[in-house]
Amino acid sequence: MMKKLLAMILVLMFALIACASAEQTAFKMGIDAEYPPYSYLGDDGAYTGYDVEMCQKVCEILGWELEIVPINWDTKLIQLDANEIDCIWSGLTIDVIDPEAYTISMAYSDNSQMILTKKGNGIESLDDVAGKTVGVQLGTSADILLSEGGDAADFGASFGELVRYENYNICFTELMAGAIDAVAIDIGVANGKIEEYGDEYFTVEEPFAAEKYGICFRKDDAEMCAQVEEAFMQLVADGTYVELAEKYGLDTAALCLTAE
Amino acid sequence: MTLTAMIAKMSEGLGRTCAIFFLTLLFSLPLGLLVALLRMSKNRLVSTVTRAIISFLRGTPLMLQLIAVAYGPFYLFGATLLVKQKLLAIIIAFSLNYAAYFAEIYRGGIESMPVGQYEAAAVLGYSRTQTFMRIILPQVVKRILPSVTNEVITLVKDTSMAFTLAYMEMFSIGKQIATSQSSFLPFVIAGVFYYLMNSVVAFAMSRCEKSLGYYR
Repeated sequence: MMKKLLAMILVLMFALIACASAEQTAFKMGIDAEYPPYSYLGDDGAYTGYDVEMCQKVCEILGWELEIVPINWDTKLIQLDANEIDCIWSGLTIDVIDPEAYTISMAYSDNSQMILTKKGNGIESLDDVAGKTVGVQLGTSADILLSEGGDAADFGASFGELVRYENYNICFTELMAGAIDAVAIDIGVANGKIEEYGDEYFTVEEPFAAEKYGICFRKDDAEMCAQVEEAFMQLVADGTYVELAEKYGLDTAALCLTAE
Repeated sequence: MTLTAMIAKMSEGLGRTCAIFFLTLLFSLPLGLLVALLRMSKNRLVSTVTRAIISFLRGTPLMLQLIAVAYGPFYLFGATLLVKQKLLAIIIAFSLNYAAYFAEIYRGGIESMPVGQYEAAAVLGYSRTQTFMRIILPQVVKRILPSVTNEVITLVKDTSMAFTLAYMEMFSIGKQIATSQSSFLPFVIAGVFYYLMNSVVAFAMSRCEKSLGYYR
């Protein structure tokens, strides 16, 4: 009885190790699967979004096989270090990545950080946010910028309270319910949310910080980065870059690359 | 996305949820007994070390333990096995964590046995192993079943912690759908799934308790 059980356990252990231990050669794109419109789960159950589709096109040009790997955003750099993914390409704010430790692509989007609020909350300008309760998704660039040590920490300190939620979905429910007065959020995501929830929601005109989006690779993958950048520029030249941005409702004003 | 599509997509992750659940139970229940015996060892060193390990496993969040198991070996030795084999990392972390809890439940059960039984067994010529395996353990199992049920039910719900390692089990998929569809429905579906699974667990465990209640 004991021996049988032990044998069963051993067999299971080996099965666990054996399954999926086949080496993969595909280009592994790391995404935050909860970050529409850049990367998310589409209606058909496959990952989609602006970044995902751009990456698919880049891989088509380069003739690479693509594997999309949803990651835990809090451990993204660990997962990159551990070769679990080959790049982080998912509305990644490159300003917060150490260029000494990683290879960072050119910025493909200059993304502003906005204050999104609801009519009747008494917020018209950034000054009005002082003393208010503001929600943010934990670990997003808005959170990092507003928190202590961030570039917009002084602005963050003017809030009554900065509440960090696990995702923007919950932020919006709280905003709708009146539990918070405003949400600090990327402009692309903000516009998508306003479209979805109706025009009683709006962003304060002036951004509290400008942000650049790019792709992050491991330090020794500079060549891979250069190949991706080259293919990316082809997509800029043939208009796919802007076309897809329009398709996903991104603010084309944030698209900072032009074909030369 | 329709309700059926959501349920279908989330069901894809249900197999993984079940894998975490059953494999964790399979490894942590025997491991817990071993840990309990080490914890009660007469050797001071063994029992102190075991006590420290239990204290660590119970005193730190499972989320941290998951990250430590998956990425610790990579950062320390460059080993990538557990990075590539997410399920393996999850099963190791979950099994260790749950074994610590089960160990204390076993210990409580074993220590609640009257000393008289050991004395009687010794008089009847039972060896120490025989006494434990044939007399003490069967009674302990009966006694601790309700506490074990508690842990097992918690385990069903804890499987969602696997999202820490971006393992796409049912709840992780549900969260992704919730975000992409701006809908709370996936959370409701997840709640129903968990409740159904736990109803099965509660039913199975109460059957076990009944079938072991042969002296009542």
